[in-house]
Amino acid sequence: MRILVVEDEPGIARFLREGLEEEYFAVDLAFDGKSGLDMALLNEYDLLIVDWMIPGISGIEVCRQVRKAGIDVPLIFLTAKDALEDIVFGLDAGASDYIRKPFAFEELLARIRVQLRRNNPAGDQLTAGRLSVNPATHQVFCGTGEIMLTPKEFSLLEYLVRNKEKVCTRSRIIEHVWDMHFDSDTSVIDVYINFLRKKLDHAGCGNIIQTIRGVGYIIRES
Amino acid sequence: MPGMKKNTGSDREHAGSVREKFSLSLRSRIAFYYTIATAVLLALVFTLVFFTVERVVYSHFDDELDREVSEIIGAQKPGTFDIRHFALSDDDHRGDHENDHENRKRHKTEVENDDDEEFLQLVGSEGKIIARSANLAGNTLTFQSGRQDKSYRLAAAGRLAVRQLQVPLTGTDGRIAGYLLAAVPVRDAVTILGDLKQVLLVSYPAIILTLFILTRLIAGRSIRPVEEVIAAAEKITRENLDSRIPLPRNHDELRRLALTINSLLERLQDAFQREKQFTSDASHELKTPIASLKGTLEVLVRKPREREHYEERILFCLKELDRMTRLIDQLLMLARYESSGMTARMEPLDLSLHIREAIGRMHSGAGRKNIPISFDGPQSCMVSADPAMLDMIFENILSNALKYSPPDSTVTVILSGSSGSLLCTFADNGIGIPDEKLSRIFERFYRVDESRSSGTGGSGLGLAIVKKLADLQHITVSVKSRRDSGTTVELRFPGT
Repeated sequence: MRILVVEDEPGIARFLREGLEEEYFAVDLAFDGKSGLDMALLNEYDLLIVDWMIPGISGIEVCRQVRKAGIDVPLIFLTAKDALEDIVFGLDAGASDYIRKPFAFEELLARIRVQLRRNNPAGDQLTAGRLSVNPATHQVFCGTGEIMLTPKEFSLLEYLVRNKEKVCTRSRIIEHVWDMHFDSDTSVIDVYINFLRKKLDHAGCGNIIQTIRGVGYIIRES
Repeated sequence: MPGMKKNTGSDREHAGSVREKFSLSLRSRIAFYYTIATAVLLALVFTLVFFTVERVVYSHFDDELDREVSEIIGAQKPGTFDIRHFALSDDDHRGDHENDHENRKRHKTEVENDDDEEFLQLVGSEGKIIARSANLAGNTLTFQSGRQDKSYRLAAAGRLAVRQLQVPLTGTDGRIAGYLLAAVPVRDAVTILGDLKQVLLVSYPAIILTLFILTRLIAGRSIRPVEEVIAAAEKITRENLDSRIPLPRNHDELRRLALTINSLLERLQDAFQREKQFTSDASHELKTPIASLKGTLEVLVRKPREREHYEERILFCLKELDRMTRLIDQLLMLARYESSGMTARMEPLDLSLHIREAIGRMHSGAGRKNIPISFDGPQSCMVSADPAMLDMIFENILSNALKYSPPDSTVTVILSGSSGSLLCTFADNGIGIPDEKLSRIFERFYRVDESRSSGTGGSGLGLAIVKKLADLQHITVSVKSRRDSGTTVELRFPGT
């Protein structure tokens, strides 16, 4: 899952990136409204975290422009403003949620999970056949046996399971699992897929990831 | 929310109706005062009219009596003036003695029929009736004893109201020998005067009452626009301070009232806006470092880390804490100066020396951009000021100048003028301040950069402190700026 953080306060931007990356998210940072908006329009993010008061274009304007471009990505506002009318104004501008500074990091994670759960009515637990993935605890089970994965392997598997029954192209996988500093050498995906397949095979969930030659990969229930 | 609003509205109406019970409404009060004034004036006019008419009427009678009396006195035979032989008439057939029964009978009918007739009566000096005209028919004219002069008065002859003149008659020896009383009946005049009085007395309350009702009506009509202004003003609350009272069409006092209220609302809205901005800015300035600290520490303890990592993050947190401490110090200082009426401890000092020292401290400060500060001014220049406050002013202005200057520019400090009016100028070639924001830079927490970026390290309190400290020492601060070409801060010291 790839997240864009638009925040001008370096201390806050840094801990957000660090904390989110430790939660297996791919994180991009923008320090002002203009570059934040450009990145949000250019790349396909799974979630945006936007500070209200940022240099250049304000967070509200970033949110409006993103919505105007027809991008229906979950967007969480991050701000020190706490007046009722500000909250209403922010949510009306198209934000999905709102979190006031100072906030607890765990709360932010919970709110991010809420937003990512939107298309998954079953809740946090993602399943495909005997395979179940829990994004909150970063645990993967095949039946009852837990499979130990590295963060990147987990993110890749999580993305494929979230998009099960759909073909995930290499470029989309790169977009959602790796951050912008990764140079788009897509062959790295094949390497990680191989690692994943071995671990899944070992646990008894083999062959769940199928290759679509020349396009990408897919996970099917059966 | 709407329900609440309705409640407060009806409460206000209720309070209004209670107040109305205890005091007259404005329209009634106007009508009341107006009516009282008119009532007094009208009473005066009516009284004046009545007495004038009365005087005119009686003076007419008095003239007639005068004429009659002087004719009688003039008709006496010269040299034979004697009270006993005094002829009561200028023509003999009317004069008569009191025991002339024939004449009395004839004149009795005349008394009743002829109003123009004069009654005459001669009275001795002791008040004894010597003679009287026959037409008196047994009635006497009342004599006022003791009066030495000619006097007119209203009296009665029997049942008849008369205007009566009493004239003393002087004998040949120069003493008062008797009195001549002449009278004319005034029946018509009395009736007319009575009628006039009645008309005036009846019309008076009627006029006053009509006037009150009319005035109240007119007053009600003329204050209706006031009611409209009130209704419009009542609808304006904290939530819709941007609405205004519609201006009346006529250019009158009410329009001025509406304009005044509108400009008051303008100022109110401004103040509310500033207060809101202040709260929002203060909360941003205080919460951002806390958020940064809290988040950094939370993420830090989520997982075990390398020693270097811990050290680096703890140092970062300490820096954030320093920033917060600085901010809180500044805030408290402003609050202290604002609330407790702190005064400057003025003492003579060398301004030139203080500026040079402040520049020195700036240059030696750690982590500053390498921007030279030049100073141009006399070697020594004495002013009266508070040294600690002065240092704080210089530090704030200079650090601002450095903060917003490009790396290869210079900051210039010029001290000029005589001891009467000293001018200290701080000029930089920095990013400048847009004109529309220049007026607000002394507000607490105001920052030209709306995103309140912490990159420059400012909180928006520096210039507010400069202004406050300068005010305490009677130093005038002004700022001139051109966008992208630099800012000039001027300190004008008062004459000593």
